[in-house]
Amino acid sequence: MLEKIKFEKFTAFEKLEVKFSPGINIFVGENGTGKTHILKAAYAACDIAKSKGGFAEKINNVFYPSGKQIGRLVKRSSTSSKGFVEISRKIDEKSINLRLSLSNHTARPENSRVSGSTKAWLEAPFEAAYIPVKDMMANAPGFRSLYEEREIHFEEIYVDIIRKAFLPALKGPTDGKRKKLLELLQDAMDGKVVAKNEEFFLRNRHGELEFTLLAEGLRKLGLLWVLIQNGTLLNGSALFWDEPETNLNPKLMKAIVGILLELQRIGVQIFLTTHDYVILKEFDLQSQADDKIFFHSLFRNGESGEIERSTTSNYLDIAPNAIDDTFGSIVDREIEKSMEGLGK
Amino acid sequence: MKVDADGFSFDFTDALDAFVFDEKDKTKPTYHGQPMKAVDIIAEFPDAYIFVEMKDFNDPAAYDTKDFSTEDELNAKRDCFKWLKNYLKYKYRDSYLFRHAEEKVDKPIHYICLLTFDNALNTAMRKALQNELPVGLASKRWKHEIVKSCQVVNVAKWNENFPKWPVRHASTGRA
Repeated sequence: MLEKIKFEKFTAFEKLEVKFSPGINIFVGENGTGKTHILKAAYAACDIAKSKGGFAEKINNVFYPSGKQIGRLVKRSSTSSKGFVEISRKIDEKSINLRLSLSNHTARPENSRVSGSTKAWLEAPFEAAYIPVKDMMANAPGFRSLYEEREIHFEEIYVDIIRKAFLPALKGPTDGKRKKLLELLQDAMDGKVVAKNEEFFLRNRHGELEFTLLAEGLRKLGLLWVLIQNGTLLNGSALFWDEPETNLNPKLMKAIVGILLELQRIGVQIFLTTHDYVILKEFDLQSQADDKIFFHSLFRNGESGEIERSTTSNYLDIAPNAIDDTFGSIVDREIEKSMEGLGK
Repeated sequence: MKVDADGFSFDFTDALDAFVFDEKDKTKPTYHGQPMKAVDIIAEFPDAYIFVEMKDFNDPAAYDTKDFSTEDELNAKRDCFKWLKNYLKYKYRDSYLFRHAEEKVDKPIHYICLLTFDNALNTAMRKALQNELPVGLASKRWKHEIVKSCQVVNVAKWNENFPKWPVRHASTGRA
């Protein structure tokens, strides 16, 4: 389970620390406040626990700075500067850290410094999946081999999620809780997913429909179905999901949030970003007393311009709330238009 | 001009007059005393009146019809939302009638509801109320408006938009 993440002069952050909920972490904030960067950095740390790859290289592949010069991930400044990202994780009640330190002159991952409990980190693998904003399920055929053979300009999260989706189903019977989740998803997307020759299809009573012909929102449900079915999302796994609402019919959001809450209840730690009011309110409405939800609001300090964070477990206490502030600006403009300065 | 009502304290600093409209104290000249619904506060300004109605809710989620898990829940929420909308609507209309009888509808009237909801839910309530009050010259036959505008705001939005009329929760002092 991830406990916290710390940044100093890394990408958009001057200095930032986020303590995670062991359950669900929801990041809200305007564009450019670093929500996705937090997810990517935390995901990179999770992924190497299983893949046994280098942290620096994973970070570099996941962020994909220009020319793959890792030093470009140091926050830009006029002078020479150093930065780091540090992730803390709890294993059997013990906290361990993993830190990547680098300077803006560091050209390659091997020239940066990885410190902390790297050995213990790699000795305790766990599953993690990152679902990017753009669906990749329809582009799966051939993408993996293309990525392995050619230098193509794609962040590694895109090929990672395809790799996870192609993992075969877990052996043995599906336990009751996972079965329930799969059924919820089957109801929402009216079918189940099958893979044939690197292509995904939605199978239901009408036949099999290839993912390229399927609405993008349904492909997302299909991906979630696959990740649950093949055991990527189990007790102790981590799920990172960037803007689940993209291309999703608002009616499906109720189901998605219900499924995410259930995944959390079986022990999946979840990290997601959103710009969507319905998603946020669904968590507020569907959550129960034992659910562990943190709403993290990222915002720029009005004076320094640097990114800061506020965290609450109560929906109404999210401040600032970039999503509700959008509705707030509509309220302001209505008053401005119809009350002609009265009370000002 | 300070007015306390329903757990809120207002200061209408530029008002000509401001008082509790649904006054229950018979000794006061503003005693309401009629079997009609009444908004909480009326304030008068040189070129307008405002009618103010406040509601401090414990469970805003009960009124949010965008979010629901079952059809029953949606229907219950719709009922809550509809109840509140009707409550706010009829309060205004009865108050308008009372003021008409007083010959005090000589300036445009703005109706402001102070509800402890988020902006999203307040925006939905405003839209519903605006259509049903109704706001403006809704009928071609009308010579004047029943209500000039309708706003639904929370405490933070009230204070941002009406700095001359600061409001706070009376008991706690929190803004």
